[in-house]
Amino acid sequence: MNVAAPKLLAKSQLLQSVRIAAKRGPYRCFSCSIHVQQQTTPPPSGQDAPRTTHFGFETVAEALKEHKVSAVFSSVASSYDTMNDLMSLGIHRLWKDHFVRNLNPGSNPLTTRSPDSQGWNILDIAGGTGDVAFRMLDHASTINNDAHTRVTVADINPNMLAEGRKRALATPYARSPRLSFMEANAEHLPTIPDNSIDLYTVAFGIRNFTNKDAALREAFRVLKPGGVFACLEFSKVNSSLFDAVYKRWSFGVIPLIGQLVAGDRDSYQYLVESIERFPSQTEFRDMIKNAGFLVPGQGWEDLTGGIAAIHKGVKPIEGHT
Amino acid sequence: MALPTRLARSAIPKLRASPLLPAFQPPQFLLPTLFAPTLHPQSQTSSYHSYEHNPPSPFSVPESAILSSALQHVPAYGFTSTALKLGARDAGYLDVSTNLLPRGVFDLVNYHLVTERLSLKDRVQFPLQGDGGAGDLGRIGVGEKVRTLALARLRANGRVIGRWQEALAIMAQPTHLPASIAELARLSDEIWFLAGDTSVDTSWYTKRASLSAIYSAAEVFMTQDTSSDFVDTERFLVERLEDVERVGGWLGEVGEWVGYTGHSVVNVLRSKGVRI
Ligand SMILES: C[S@@+](CC[C@H](N)C(=O)[O-])C[C@H]1O[C@@H](n2cnc3c(N)ncnc32)[C@H](O)[C@@H]1O
Repeated sequence: MNVAAPKLLAKSQLLQSVRIAAKRGPYRCFSCSIHVQQQTTPPPSGQDAPRTTHFGFETVAEALKEHKVSAVFSSVASSYDTMNDLMSLGIHRLWKDHFVRNLNPGSNPLTTRSPDSQGWNILDIAGGTGDVAFRMLDHASTINNDAHTRVTVADINPNMLAEGRKRALATPYARSPRLSFMEANAEHLPTIPDNSIDLYTVAFGIRNFTNKDAALREAFRVLKPGGVFACLEFSKVNSSLFDAVYKRWSFGVIPLIGQLVAGDRDSYQYLVESIERFPSQTEFRDMIKNAGFLVPGQGWEDLTGGIAAIHKGVKPIEGHT
Repeated sequence: MALPTRLARSAIPKLRASPLLPAFQPPQFLLPTLFAPTLHPQSQTSSYHSYEHNPPSPFSVPESAILSSALQHVPAYGFTSTALKLGARDAGYLDVSTNLLPRGVFDLVNYHLVTERLSLKDRVQFPLQGDGGAGDLGRIGVGEKVRTLALARLRANGRVIGRWQEALAIMAQPTHLPASIAELARLSDEIWFLAGDTSVDTSWYTKRASLSAIYSAAEVFMTQDTSSDFVDTERFLVERLEDVERVGGWLGEVGEWVGYTGHSVVNVLRSKGVRI
């Protein structure tokens, strides 16, 4: 009976999130319009052989992936928490808390000797629903008594941004200059100047990027020397038994539940496959190094046996590589 | 002073050798090369280990820059993330750059431990022995050298002694304890090596284990020492070292001592609210 308890708990959590998602029913119809739009988008022409990339396990033209990814997130924008709960076995909130606490954003004014210190300039890429941004601002304000640190949430998908703006209304930051939203593709951030950002975060976003190296190069460009790139992402489970169990869960059960909850099996199927396709911890660490970053220690921290991992890179200052 | 030996036996009975064995592998670069040329001409009493005068730093340039600056802030801010951030700024970095240090404040403590261990050989030099020349001040026993070295290392905590209990508490955290014990073992090994102990018999482990225990007890004692120039700590250290020799030499009943001193460390830390 002791053994059965956690199972019961998990089940009831699951049911609860399903119920919450069901309540949000009306917003779900984003998906319809976007899917239609996507189907009428002609494939890119003018090239002999269009460049291809992965869409989950399907191989698609690069330009199409952007549309497909955006369609996925439009479909799941409102049932988004459910999706994250399903894929992380309900612990993504704890990971995000850890991610933020560990980055320790904000500068305590009592120990800031320069009076003109303006707090940190944080860019939360693929920030969608603002989940990470709100945590950053809360941490800076309450832990570090920093009322200046600000976050720009950037996402490629206007529907996710709309969801974020809506959720911001329930926080103290909705109309404050400390929080702003912008629509942008992580691979190309022309409106963000070089050397302007203290901390670049991306949580559960980078696996969706068509060109991850381009995104890393942009991150390097916009960060100040000494600035930090930090990425929270699903990763490679490091025990083969746990991996087998988790795969069964993610490939077998999640799309099915996606079908039931959001009526959208394909989007959930994509999400599960995109995780499987993402590079291993060491591969991704090497990509970060190749972009020019210094990595702390081994370069990453595994969370919950490697279901997720936090990777970091620091942009070197001149002469200190 | 009477020894609470029965208490000691029950306290940490197994510390004598086996649990610490893996940590005691002597680092490659410390293996003696007795006839290597002296790289240290300005020192009249050049020591025989000067062959490895500048071993590569275990810290990268940015790590050293941030951590060495951060140490300057420890007397005022303690071993805290504030000291780290201030150090990062002094070194030309940003507050956020402290993310370069995966273990946070433990990296700051560890930097102090490692740099002070590595600089011990430069700060303490013994005259060459038995060369009969002008520099030969007569034989200094290994025991006396161990005492001099341990004392020199303790004195290096002087600058941050007001914050050293914080450091001990950080070292005693379960995630950092293995690294802390390994570093203590390396210090112990370094001291025996610099003292010229080249024995490879069974006393190798007990010597290092006993010195580790005595050193850490003295370190804790020093955090409560209000005497001028830490003379009480010096006496504490000297007495413990004498005791260990009297009780049967480094080969003998040192297990009791390890138990006793280990126990007292645990008690002091407990009294400071560290849950161990
Ligand atoms: C799984 S959500 C993560 C949202 C949020 N960071 C969190 O952790 O809750 C992934 C987000 O990445 C965004 N995204 C995908 N490709 C992108 C790109 N190339 N540039 C910017 N955002 C992108 C999607 O629109 C979506 O909002």
